[in-house]
Amino acid sequence: MGHTRSHFWFVSPAVILMFVILILPIFVAATFSFTDYNLGSTDFKWIGWKNYESLGKFSSYSKMFTASLTYVVIVVPVSVLLGLGSAMLISSLRFGGELYKAIFFLPVMATLLAMAYAWEFALDPVMGVINKVLDDGCSVGWFYKFFTGSWLGFNPTESWYGGICSDRMPNWLGNKKYALGSISFIGIWQAFGFNMVLYLAGLTSIPRDLYAAAEIDGANSTWEKFKLVTWPMLGPTHVFVVTITSIRSFQVFDTVEALTRGGPSKSTYMMVYAMYEKGVKQNLIGMGSTLTIVFLGFVLVLTMTQVYFINRKVHYS
Amino acid sequence: MAEIQLKGISKSFDDNKVIKSLDLSIANGEFITVLGPSGCGKSTLLRIIAGLESQSSGDVIIDGREVNNVRASERDLAMVFQSYALYPHLSVQQNLMVPLKLRRLSRLERFPLLNWFLPKRSSKMIELNEKVLQAAETLQITHLMERKPGQLSGGQQQRVAVGRAMVREPVAFLMDEPLSNLDAALRVHMRAEISELHRKLKTTFVYVTHDQAEALTMSDRMAVMMDGEILQHDTPSEIYNNPVNLQVAEFIGSPKINVLPAESDSKGGITCMGLPISLSMKTPKQGSIMLGFRPEHTELLSSNSNNCFEGKITYKENLGSDIYLHVNLKEDQHKMIVRSEPDKALDAKIGDMVKIGWMVDKVMAFERNGQSLPTKSKS
Repeated sequence: MGHTRSHFWFVSPAVILMFVILILPIFVAATFSFTDYNLGSTDFKWIGWKNYESLGKFSSYSKMFTASLTYVVIVVPVSVLLGLGSAMLISSLRFGGELYKAIFFLPVMATLLAMAYAWEFALDPVMGVINKVLDDGCSVGWFYKFFTGSWLGFNPTESWYGGICSDRMPNWLGNKKYALGSISFIGIWQAFGFNMVLYLAGLTSIPRDLYAAAEIDGANSTWEKFKLVTWPMLGPTHVFVVTITSIRSFQVFDTVEALTRGGPSKSTYMMVYAMYEKGVKQNLIGMGSTLTIVFLGFVLVLTMTQVYFINRKVHYS
Repeated sequence: MAEIQLKGISKSFDDNKVIKSLDLSIANGEFITVLGPSGCGKSTLLRIIAGLESQSSGDVIIDGREVNNVRASERDLAMVFQSYALYPHLSVQQNLMVPLKLRRLSRLERFPLLNWFLPKRSSKMIELNEKVLQAAETLQITHLMERKPGQLSGGQQQRVAVGRAMVREPVAFLMDEPLSNLDAALRVHMRAEISELHRKLKTTFVYVTHDQAEALTMSDRMAVMMDGEILQHDTPSEIYNNPVNLQVAEFIGSPKINVLPAESDSKGGITCMGLPISLSMKTPKQGSIMLGFRPEHTELLSSNSNNCFEGKITYKENLGSDIYLHVNLKEDQHKMIVRSEPDKALDAKIGDMVKIGWMVDKVMAFERNGQSLPTKSKS
């Protein structure tokens, strides 16, 4: 090998492509994050850590972190547990499982942007089907009783549903109180089908003998078997599902762009939307780059945690 | 300890009848082997006894109690699986602890965190730890207690699986081909260990295998099972020496028994391929029958012998302690395998003509349909 250099020629296309496409952009972004560069302007100034300092200074950025983290904290556990639950229900079916899989997977396959517009119609405060149902429900006795909790002995007018019946129907996307919840709901609706498919794959890889052994050992309820076999045997799947869902939740953009544009009063101002707003809409490349680097940091931490867990905790060999 | 009775058990999967009306009774403390080729329904039978599978008809009776509707966890049986089925996320110690915890601790005592405040729990745990340690000592796995199953060799995993079955002192052990994932040397070793364990525990063992060496060496009695039926249920020596039919005779014994066509006359005398065999039938009947010669009951004779089979060697297997010669019998399509002492057959070469004799009191006679025929040797 030593006297020829041909091996460098063989690996160079791959190395150069990898560098140019994957690594260089990160360095460029990191460099821009220390400047005040605006797209179109001919020069820029080095401003050191100022962009990063402004993340702590302006309330819109602290609202951004709150919105993003809240979204992740709501969407990840709910969509993961829903995914696991539906996967377990579907895998216990004798027939019809394929149909349920297809139905729950539909939101994953559909374009989220298009689906977001469909949700916008449904959530419209005046014409939306959701408020229509809620509004009509106010005059239906059992419906009213059920949702106000008066069948449990609560005072109907003090309940949330009683309140909107006597006042007016909620503005799901325009009200600060509901907007992040609505966006999160759509996020869960979209993500859990994907988690379900991952869990279904995880469930089929559990050896049947383990359930038989658990039964023989005295695990006579479904809950005992779940605790002893299903949950721990899904260890690698849990880590993968949680990481993927977290990263995808941090990346949420389509629904915010289509439905709220970060509002009302920045309550749904997510990180990727902020990146887009600063870097693309306002041409503030310096600030956009800063957000990108911070975002990368979040994702990196998540991925590192996954690697740590996979190596240490959940691969049992 | 328990006696297990199966009455008229049958099992179908859809249209496929895996077990056809089967009766078996297993005495208290007995080591019984269910031996059969793969796909004969023996594992299904074991799972029916365990309660993991429900029979299509018939009764399972354990210690006089009909348990048809009792679920597996309530039957108090232990099972060792071919795959061992250890919980991979738990250490050896925790694996051994699982059946004890699930059976001896109440639901509340198993509840995380809350259980620290229950007064009786810690004394119970000490007692259970004691039991786990005892089982581990019996199986010599105390040095492995902190490891996970993935860090153990096949033989060690096997021991842990036996240990997990042993700790809670079940009324019977069910073993589903527990040795078939081990290498040959370890298999022979574990065979002895499991027999030893049976002598020590004096509990009923039901052992399913397709390996006749395991069945013959370990069991008090064995049940030969084929196509969902038990063909013969007896001691290993009885099954080897007096198989009820040709199927059993061909399945037990390695290499396989040689079967040659023969004629019987009205007086009960037997001739095989023109040679008079000094053997007669207890109930004389004229007709064509079949004779079985086990390779180990035949021998090479010197070239000047007469009244013997003659043939050409086609293949020679030297096992060190024995030599097996495959012989094509003269003027015929029939083949025969002959066992020989190494020094007698050392010079024999492929293509040589040899003469073959037989031990007359070991020859077995069968009807054309395979049923065994009682014979006596003419003296």
